[in-house]
Amino acid sequence: MKSREEEYKEIFIGEALEYYDALNRHISDLEKNPENDSLLAEIFRLLHNMKANAKAIGYIHISELSHKLETAFELIRNKKLAFADEAVTILFDGIDLLGELINNLDQEDYQAQDENIIRNLDIIVQTGESGNKPGDKAVEVAKGPKYLNSKNIQLSDLIYIQIKKLDHLLNLVGELIIDRDRIISISKELDHPDLTSVSSHLYRLTEDLQFSVMDARLVTIGSLFNKFPRIVRDIAVAEKKEIHLDITGQDIQIDRNILQIITDSLLHIMRNAISHGIEPAEVREAAGKPAVGNISLSAQSDRDMVQIKLSDDGKGIDLNDVRRGIVQKGYLPAEAANELRDSEVLSYIFEPGFSLAKQITEVSGRGVGLDVVKNAIDSIGGRIRIDSEKGKGTTFTLHLPTSIAVKGALLFEVDSSFYAIPLMHTDSVVALDKDELHEIGGLLVADIKNETITVISLNEFLTADEKTMNLGSKAKLQGVVQNIIIVTYNNRKLGLIVDKLFRQQDIVVKALNKPVDIIEIYGGVTLLGSGKVCLVLDVPALTRYFLTKK
Amino acid sequence: MKKRILIVDDSFYMRTMLKNMLTDAGYEVVGEAPNGQTALQMAKETNPDLITLDVILPDNTGLDVLKGIRKDQPDMKVIIVSAVGQEVIVTEAIENGALAYIVKPFSEDKVLEVVGNALKN
Repeated sequence: MKSREEEYKEIFIGEALEYYDALNRHISDLEKNPENDSLLAEIFRLLHNMKANAKAIGYIHISELSHKLETAFELIRNKKLAFADEAVTILFDGIDLLGELINNLDQEDYQAQDENIIRNLDIIVQTGESGNKPGDKAVEVAKGPKYLNSKNIQLSDLIYIQIKKLDHLLNLVGELIIDRDRIISISKELDHPDLTSVSSHLYRLTEDLQFSVMDARLVTIGSLFNKFPRIVRDIAVAEKKEIHLDITGQDIQIDRNILQIITDSLLHIMRNAISHGIEPAEVREAAGKPAVGNISLSAQSDRDMVQIKLSDDGKGIDLNDVRRGIVQKGYLPAEAANELRDSEVLSYIFEPGFSLAKQITEVSGRGVGLDVVKNAIDSIGGRIRIDSEKGKGTTFTLHLPTSIAVKGALLFEVDSSFYAIPLMHTDSVVALDKDELHEIGGLLVADIKNETITVISLNEFLTADEKTMNLGSKAKLQGVVQNIIIVTYNNRKLGLIVDKLFRQQDIVVKALNKPVDIIEIYGGVTLLGSGKVCLVLDVPALTRYFLTKK
Repeated sequence: MKKRILIVDDSFYMRTMLKNMLTDAGYEVVGEAPNGQTALQMAKETNPDLITLDVILPDNTGLDVLKGIRKDQPDMKVIIVSAVGQEVIVTEAIENGALAYIVKPFSEDKVLEVVGNALKN
């Protein structure tokens, strides 16, 4: 688990080693120019920061030593002590010791030879402060053994890097993978042994490179989760509620940009849970629950996915309220709303403008709905689901990719063109006889694993002229057996008839350029190894198109 | 509206601690300046509600930055962040219009108290 304390420690060490290097540089320069005021000011500043930082984080030895060195350099600055003779050696020793302490942070005490250095520092400080001329020292400085490890060069193990540099690197890797796939495809055609061997080596290398770059972008979820105790406390105070927050899984790693994108969403759900989920204490007690509300925030990793769960033990969601909302807001007629399965009912909570909040409170319920949350999760190819039991509580589950660049996708062909659907949204693939499809209400439906699912012929949908398009006619289907990809979005399923199924493949999705970027049903485009363009279907847009507008 | 704060400190560690404390408490940190020149530029560009100012900076002293800021933005609220031993500079900073000071190492409560009071006025 990487707590905030550990993050602070890493930052402290990184910065302390930087200061140490700079100190060594400046003190060597100072030896050549002992009167240089700006060098002295800079040394003083570095020691000053080192002292303050070490004191803040609790490394008392470093703080004390920095303080002694700072005092000595202050005396040199004020011409009360000369940077000459023994003072130079002692100060060099002191700075070496500082480096040693930074590199052995967990060491409890000074070593014997360190004590000499400390005593010598005290002596030169006293000399300066007492106004004695250097040279007529009352006490002889101890000639301890010279610091043995001091000349080992230590570079910081930690660097800071702007996220946009990593973004750029990842984009380049994406481009490289596209070219690699092209080369592998060409090598298969040419079937030359040398080319085959070098291209398979290239494959392994780029794969390694891709994972290394993706890995460099990972941060722990703790960097977001650790902000919540304070946030929850503040919201709870504003709502006059008492909340116990339980956090687990802080050490799970995820792409930094994905974490950034879901930050507001998670905050939104948390606010909802506290202000609408958890009941006031007296209501809870009347219902036989503990007065203190419980919220748990957890993360776990699930193959290439990270699952974040936020559960409360509040009042839960009344499905009948939602059904009424569905009818009142005009999404569905009453009969249809009553026929919805429970999970489908809850999915309407993510529709724009759908809010169950009866009371606008300080922290939530001001028009920003869960649809915004859903859009954010969709934009990174994640999924969100909600489970709730009246009286027991509500759980939001976010399935997020750990990385954004590369997605697993299912490739298929429609009308001799290639298309892909992200695996994130595919439920299953079935082959059905034409007879198992039924013409109902201008669309085709099929019973698949005891569910009635709307089925769309992609050939007709993507190629037919708008005026003659008929998605409800079996006559338009070619062949007897139909390959159907079942896609799922927001608990709703849709079947897509394709001409030919290919394989699963990792693809790098590129955004569509203007002016075609306004075509809603495509989420992007990728290049296949063969050099052919492959459009990537946007399942959320496609499902919305057929299932909410029907 | 979140109150907007600019942090001026030459130590990344200190900036990170301050930033975490302030954002956790619901403030918006609009910028972090590691030196005097950047501080002056960011003060103008971001026009924050409050600036926390370290008095020992690499290029200018914090005092020069304070004077520079208050020349162009005379009503700017500035809080001095200093370590023990800088009492002379702190006194001079208060005379030059700084509202309050925080001594390093600071506790979260102390920072929030001083910042909260400064923003109240």
